[in-house]
Amino acid sequence: MKRKKIPMFLRFFALIPLLLLGGCNTEHFWLFNPKGPVAAANLYYMVVDVVIMSIVIVPTVIFTIWVISRYRASKKAHHDPKFSHSNGLEVLVWGIPIIIVGVLAFFSYEGTHAVNPWNPTVITKNPKYADTKPLEVDVVTTDWQWMFIYPKQHIAVANELVIPVHTPVHFRLTSTSVTNNFYIPQLVGQVYVMPGMRSKQSLVATHTGEYHGFSAALSGGGFSWMDFKTKAVSEADFNAWVEKVKQQGRRLAYPKFAAFAKPTVNLAGKVHYFSDVQPGLFAEVIKNVRDGKLQYATPMFLTENMDSKEFKQHSN
Amino acid sequence: MLVDLQGPWNPIFGRLGLLLEVHYNNPIIFFAFMMVVIGGTAALSWVTFTGRWGWLWREWLTTVDHKKLGIMYILVGLVMMLRGFVDALMMRTQQAMAVGPDSPGVLGAAHGYLPPYHFDQVFTAHGMIMILLAATPILVGFMNLIMPIQIGARDMAYPYLNALGLWLTVAAASLVMIALFVGDFSHAGWVGLTPLTELPYSPGVGVDYYLWSIQIGSIGTTIGAVNLIATIIKMRAPGMTWGRLPIFTWTTLASNIIALTSFPVLGVALALLTLDRYIGTHFFTADLGGNLMMYTNLFWIWGHPEVYFVVIPAFGFLSEIIPTFSEKPLFGYVTMVLASMAIAGVSWTVWLHHFFTMGASPGVNSYFSIATMLVGIPTGVKVFNWAFTMWRGKLRFPTPMLWAIGSLFLLITGGMTGMMLAVPAINYLVHNSVFVIAHFHNMFLLIVYAAFGATVYWWPKVFGFKLDEYWGKVFFWLFTAGTLFVFVPMYTLGFMGMTRRLDYIPHTSWEPLLLLEVIGTGFYLLSILAFVIQLGVSIYNREKNRVVASDAWGTSRSVEWMTHTPPPFYNFAVTPVIHARDEWAWRREHGLTNLMPEKFLDIHMPKNTAVPLIISFFTLVCGFALVWRIWWLAAATFAAIIIAMIIRSFDKDTDYIIPAAEVERMEKEIVARAEGRIPAGEPAPVGGGAGGAYASKRTPTQRRDND
Repeated sequence: MKRKKIPMFLRFFALIPLLLLGGCNTEHFWLFNPKGPVAAANLYYMVVDVVIMSIVIVPTVIFTIWVISRYRASKKAHHDPKFSHSNGLEVLVWGIPIIIVGVLAFFSYEGTHAVNPWNPTVITKNPKYADTKPLEVDVVTTDWQWMFIYPKQHIAVANELVIPVHTPVHFRLTSTSVTNNFYIPQLVGQVYVMPGMRSKQSLVATHTGEYHGFSAALSGGGFSWMDFKTKAVSEADFNAWVEKVKQQGRRLAYPKFAAFAKPTVNLAGKVHYFSDVQPGLFAEVIKNVRDGKLQYATPMFLTENMDSKEFKQHSN
Repeated sequence: MLVDLQGPWNPIFGRLGLLLEVHYNNPIIFFAFMMVVIGGTAALSWVTFTGRWGWLWREWLTTVDHKKLGIMYILVGLVMMLRGFVDALMMRTQQAMAVGPDSPGVLGAAHGYLPPYHFDQVFTAHGMIMILLAATPILVGFMNLIMPIQIGARDMAYPYLNALGLWLTVAAASLVMIALFVGDFSHAGWVGLTPLTELPYSPGVGVDYYLWSIQIGSIGTTIGAVNLIATIIKMRAPGMTWGRLPIFTWTTLASNIIALTSFPVLGVALALLTLDRYIGTHFFTADLGGNLMMYTNLFWIWGHPEVYFVVIPAFGFLSEIIPTFSEKPLFGYVTMVLASMAIAGVSWTVWLHHFFTMGASPGVNSYFSIATMLVGIPTGVKVFNWAFTMWRGKLRFPTPMLWAIGSLFLLITGGMTGMMLAVPAINYLVHNSVFVIAHFHNMFLLIVYAAFGATVYWWPKVFGFKLDEYWGKVFFWLFTAGTLFVFVPMYTLGFMGMTRRLDYIPHTSWEPLLLLEVIGTGFYLLSILAFVIQLGVSIYNREKNRVVASDAWGTSRSVEWMTHTPPPFYNFAVTPVIHARDEWAWRREHGLTNLMPEKFLDIHMPKNTAVPLIISFFTLVCGFALVWRIWWLAAATFAAIIIAMIIRSFDKDTDYIIPAAEVERMEKEIVARAEGRIPAGEPAPVGGGAGGAYASKRTPTQRRDND
């Protein structure tokens, strides 16, 4: 068979997607547009990590490409068929990765404490927020909705989170059914929301605006629709909003909550407001989940046909 | 019943009554089923009409020849890879179609064409199949095929066990394929997220299919690991000291040490989950004292070592291919061995990095972060060593070398993104995002590239002819286009905040990149076509591409190139004596390339057996019965397995001797064939390893005195 060659331009066609890295609209890159100190710290460590890695990776790539082009058989370059060992190079090939990993390890240790969900030092050690009274929010996920309880304000909102800017917000999180993952890319990284357990998270929003929050861990059929708007508003607007919710007059005690926790796909993105929330609701939910008293079995073929009557009973 | 089952159950048919509620009018399932029926009928008719049932039985189904078992392992892996790829096509098209609230939905989906019920099964099957039933069998296949020849052995230490390992893997794959049509598959991700896999949240039989198929497959892999380790320790040819062991054999050893120590953990984790689902225990439930994160820990204590179980042999492929086409020995052999062992060692200490976001304390997360980064050191060493192997070499670029270099660059990018993920402060943002998906596909593609390289590299040794270079290059470039078009957008989407496993895409700004990914899968589809054409053209032109020299590439270095091409079923006429690290290169330099020994000796070989096939058939039925809770059938088949084992253990007629004169006759015939003195059209009783026919002819056992 005669030797056919694939045209060079076709080979480079394969590299087209790399151009994408350059020409994209940056506003959609949530990870590069943090709106709070926690997400900003995450981005900072990402940049540090990539820069340090590049110190070794860029020369390695250049060297490898150079070797591949320099030592093609057709180039008739110096061929050394015995060369297989060099103490100097061995020290180099072990030494460089060890140094790089050592430096990265330092930054990793520092970063882990900076954005530690239990006590993020970018917030707790920041004098800017030392005098601000933090807002407390209890988060409960169900199949497949979010309940945000504001225990001090005695209000609760389903599927929407409203927070004041420049105020540390401390979350306590738990789930009634399976594990979810609390994530608002522009404000704070992920933390698991687990049934029968309590995790914590903290954030500060530094800009007013609307941010996307959602569950980042698969939790079953309604998972894709499990998102919530996060509205960061001014202090005054927040207080006004709290008052408005309080006027709505829907009480949320444990039995009502247990009914709310029934498997529901939030197809329409509905938001519910509750005033007069029973104190200690969060703790009661955890206790009932641990005792096996709050548990709904998922119907077997629930999401097989989303036009079916059964599905309509479990969605809104 | 100790647990609350949704749907019917009766003592004879178990839960099979559920099938009446399954909607078989779904055109996708129907189409897949028809394809399987047509394909299966075509294959069976071919075997029947060409009268090959006897051949199939003697040469393949009952064989214990490590080469044939290796080929079948790879074949099973490729078939399952195709199935996994179809799953991937469905995922990519579904996500591209279901963007934004206005996107239409068909076939019961609110958006796109796959409702969560199906979509979740598709990605679970994709992940589980690609890792456990595609990557693992393909790599185990290469270990089986090449490693024993590389150490100068005639077969594995336990040939019967080897066959059992293969057929159990086939049983596992069959169970997963049955799940496609009979009932459903798990919808809880390939990691089996607890408590989503618990009975209340997964009331169907899907998770049970998942549990039993992995359980069966992992038994196969574990006994395979025992066998491979024993072979490397005990079956090396004289002179094959540890310092002379070919590097692929070293990586086989490293990765099977991982398999042997980690697969039992998986078995235990799945068994505990099975108890939760079958007898109502509370190991991983949220209530009544269960701890769901315990499952996550146990799963990843296996899961992360599993990653290195598949990546280390791929490093072995690169270490064999690159020196051959650089015409130089591997740079830093000792370093390479140490690096492989170091990766294997560190692999047990990093599992928690799969769930940094669990909310562990910064102390815990820092420890696992730094442990994870340590993996970067030996991996970096390997990259440097391959670069220095090519330095001052005489490089040629046939397809195996292209795949190897592609693999090298994938390792560099995958390594870089891996080091990003190892930092918890970054991980909190990209965990569970498509950035992670792009990263681990990047790493798995490195393995796929290396495995395709290995396929082209060892193909002539195994089948006696080379694969077509032109179509091989078309395949490579189309596959590379697919890789870039799918995974560059995927990394980018990760930075845009997109997370994994979404059936519905709420943000329209992700749409253009999702469409690019669909184009990428199109390239993959074309590349598969090119691969099929490559195989077809190569088989059609096999006489033209025939390789008769023992060394197909002319510059190979290790022991597998020291026997005939293709190797006879006994591998070596006389067990070779090893003098150097790269024995074949050493012999070439010293002019010792004559393969005809001066004196022939008797050869002791294992006999074919149908027992592994029978045991694995009963295992498959037992698995099916357990999935559907048909207790009597499960008990009966389990008893049958035990009985088959006992009967086999009393069978003393398991081996035979090939007399020296017979070996001499066969060797001379191979040489005559190679020199063209026997026409190519003549059926070859020996070449290509027709060991099965030979073994079944030799009924009276002759035992050697020293056995």
